[in-house]
Amino acid sequence: MSKDTRPMGIYIHIPFCSKKCDYCDFVSYSMDTKAQQLYLEALFTEIDMLKNKFMDRTFDTIFIGGGTPSIVYEGFIASLSRKLYSSFHFADKIEFSIEVNPSSFTKEKFFEYVEAGVNRISVGIQCLDQKLLANHGRFQSIENVRETFNILRESEFPNVNGDVMIGLPGQNKRSVVQTIKFLLKNKVKHVSTYALQIERHTMLYDKLRRGKIKRMKDKDVLTLYEIIYKMLSKAGFKRYEVSNYAKPGFECEHNKKYWDDTSYLGLGVSAHSYIDGYRYYNTKRLDTYIDAMNENKSAVYRKEYVSDAEHREERIMLSLRTAKGLNLEQFKQDFKEDLLRSRAEQIKKLTELKMVEVVDGYLRITEPNFYVSNQIILELI
Amino acid sequence: MTRQEKIRNFCIVAHIDHGKSTLADRLMEYTNTVAKRDMEDQLLDSMDIERERGITIKLTPATMKYTYNGEEYTLNLIDTPGHVDFSYEVSRSLAACEGAILVVDATQGVQAQTLANVYLALDANLEIIPVVNKIDLPSAEIEKTKKEIEDIIGIPCDEACEISAKTGLNIESVLESIIKYIPAPKGEENKPLKALIFDSYYDSYKGAVSMVRIFDGSVKVGDEILFMQTNKTFVVTEVGVFKPKAVAVDSLKAGDVGYIAASIKNVSDTKVGDTITLKNNPIEKPLDGYKEATSVVFCGIFPLDGDKYQELSDALEKLKLNDASLHFTKETSLALGHGFRCGFLGLLHMEIITERLEREFNLDIITTAPSVEYKIFDNKGKEYDVKNPSEMPPMASVTRMEEPIVKMEIITPKDYLGGIMDLCADRRGVYHDMQYIDANRTKLIYTMPLNEIVYDFFDKIKSISKGYASMDYELAGYQDSDLVKLDILLNGEICDALSIIVHKDKAYPRGRALCERLKAVIPRHLFEIPIQAVIGGKVIARETISAVRKDVLAKCYGGDVTRKRKLLEKQKEGKKRMRKLGSVELPSEAFVSILKLDD
Repeated sequence: MSKDTRPMGIYIHIPFCSKKCDYCDFVSYSMDTKAQQLYLEALFTEIDMLKNKFMDRTFDTIFIGGGTPSIVYEGFIASLSRKLYSSFHFADKIEFSIEVNPSSFTKEKFFEYVEAGVNRISVGIQCLDQKLLANHGRFQSIENVRETFNILRESEFPNVNGDVMIGLPGQNKRSVVQTIKFLLKNKVKHVSTYALQIERHTMLYDKLRRGKIKRMKDKDVLTLYEIIYKMLSKAGFKRYEVSNYAKPGFECEHNKKYWDDTSYLGLGVSAHSYIDGYRYYNTKRLDTYIDAMNENKSAVYRKEYVSDAEHREERIMLSLRTAKGLNLEQFKQDFKEDLLRSRAEQIKKLTELKMVEVVDGYLRITEPNFYVSNQIILELI
Repeated sequence: MTRQEKIRNFCIVAHIDHGKSTLADRLMEYTNTVAKRDMEDQLLDSMDIERERGITIKLTPATMKYTYNGEEYTLNLIDTPGHVDFSYEVSRSLAACEGAILVVDATQGVQAQTLANVYLALDANLEIIPVVNKIDLPSAEIEKTKKEIEDIIGIPCDEACEISAKTGLNIESVLESIIKYIPAPKGEENKPLKALIFDSYYDSYKGAVSMVRIFDGSVKVGDEILFMQTNKTFVVTEVGVFKPKAVAVDSLKAGDVGYIAASIKNVSDTKVGDTITLKNNPIEKPLDGYKEATSVVFCGIFPLDGDKYQELSDALEKLKLNDASLHFTKETSLALGHGFRCGFLGLLHMEIITERLEREFNLDIITTAPSVEYKIFDNKGKEYDVKNPSEMPPMASVTRMEEPIVKMEIITPKDYLGGIMDLCADRRGVYHDMQYIDANRTKLIYTMPLNEIVYDFFDKIKSISKGYASMDYELAGYQDSDLVKLDILLNGEICDALSIIVHKDKAYPRGRALCERLKAVIPRHLFEIPIQAVIGGKVIARETISAVRKDVLAKCYGGDVTRKRKLLEKQKEGKKRMRKLGSVELPSEAFVSILKLDD
């Protein structure tokens, strides 16, 4: 792949949490202010090492994710954003997102974020059933959740996302309905829904193996998916990706880069970058990361070139996750392959089954069939 | 002493695992035929599969020298295949000998194949030397084993050798017994050449090579020889002996065991059991006992990847070079495309060939359910030999059907007698006799249809008896039978590769079991798939595979792409192993697993 001239995104990983949730397999550490300071310094070093390489690039999204970005001390985010602005070239209008957890979100932090330029806040609400969350090692009180949304509502913050998790063992329909209602009442513009995946090396995996919990049945997860779909559609949201809903104009620009093959730069421990056809993986260990930065060495432990064949498959699998679908003309240009011919038989069959459709030069999966997207993708790659 | 008086031709007979190959190795080591450092365990079993399974398929003779009482003797060991599928080959090997060493494992006693092979040896009028093996093991019961040999087989065991082939204990006693008790050959060198082919193999330089026992006369390079059954003549290019590697000699004479090469292109010209004589000075009549190797079990073999048809064809040709008993003809299946219908001497033979195709030729293949050869008679008086269910004429025109049957002998500890008799009854076995071998063990004799044992009978016997029972069978002709053709429909389309011919009484349970089994192995698709078992248009069983409802990766952001791709790779890999039948994708295991139905 030649140089990507589109505006890029920046992702920054904040690897701190007060406590790890049972289902989480992201990299996180529970650390004090001292450790956070060291980490911030390391991030500065990484930015300094990389900024010259990206002198001629424009960025138009920043996404601070975690971990729990809202847990770091006051001033951290402001200081980080100043560093970013002074190091990289940004477009006039950017999307700047941060993930927050109600249990560590405060008014002071909110003002700090706004001051820093944050214009999109993603609240990890997961589920309103606090007991259920506590059972899965996530402790957040209903008061914190209410308080978080009060702060956001009172200041009329315009772009809020709610992260909702479904499929937690023991989760019932009612709590999901309640959660969505709550988000709608609070006028969020975006909802991300995640069906729980029980990953290896998580507490949940361990509990499952020891028979302490049971995986939710596929058909029950489906029911929850469908409930959410109906509620949000009725409220004017559009599903623009398998797990993401937005009001018109509020799609997450940063995440869209992942699905439409745009380059992005990842900073911090365990962050990934995708730049001009290469994938880079930063170390997953906090101490290794900090040591590397102290020695002015790269944090990248693996770099891989995405071959044409892999690139082709990634294009299919990622773009078919979106409602917009796969741009067939672009595909033909990039891979010298007319998918409508090379996969004529499969597309014919899937069209007959009403699972895919070709509209305005895009091949896309029809709405109700997102749930079997893996199977459809498999037919088409 | 004359030349022949110093020759002994013998073989070793034993049940699987009783130590035949180990003893052969030890004999070669003690006679310095093979230097100890060159010894590879179980030298005679030269194929990997043979070595792994501890069975001998291809024969490899060995000529050894041993000095006894100051005289140097030539001992020719002719190995015999250790499995019932190859009993004809065994009988020809035995015919080349004057004596046999009977090896019995002192920890297991006499087993079904011990008996089967020893009877063949007795039929061939061989002198039998009993050897009790594995006496070094704590569970060895030497006296009991000897008594069993005396009681069951009727061979006196006063002077039986008690050995451990593994440790080499008392190996000399075996060598001495061979010289003392096995008669020397009594051929006449001055008579016209009379040689028996007991095996053959293909050598890329020498062509098809016949392994022979010379009964009368002699043969040397330049002789024009006649194969009496095939009626073909060739000029000898090389004669030699096995040490155990082939070594050329000037001539082979009466009493000798060795090989004859004559630039023969095809192993099917060197048929086991054929007699070789001289073209210009032939004997009047060939040796007795010649039989064409006949296929007993048939199955379709198809490349998993249709593009590999030519490779499969080449591989079979290569195997055939060395295995005259392998038969194959082209076959086209609607479901599986181009492939071959192959005929085998038995199930083991089939397993070995399919395994060699996969391992030595690195081919992914699909084998269809093994079938036997049925005789079908229609209302116009026409007879069909049907070895492929798809060749079955329409049921409406069929007046009579016959299926091959076998005489089955099973030896089992009495604890498992009930279970085994139930199994035999379930497999349409007809009980004939029961004999007590000792206080604990019993021999059962049944006749049963061959198609009832080609599936999983041996596995079943082993599992019922926890591995203690043993079995042996021989073909016993044909009998009338009420058979039907059972078809499988997937998503409304007939899948010819899954059709089977089955006894009417078994059709319903088998149809049901097949549908259930297929439901278990066929992954869910994006649409619902009905599976139906059908006899002549009538549905007798049905299952439905419901459509996939959820297969989606919940989140997929920057760091997840690699993980997602891996998942996709895995799914793709799985798909590659699928065979498309109409709109349905079947894993290749589907064809295998249906063979092992628990009905």
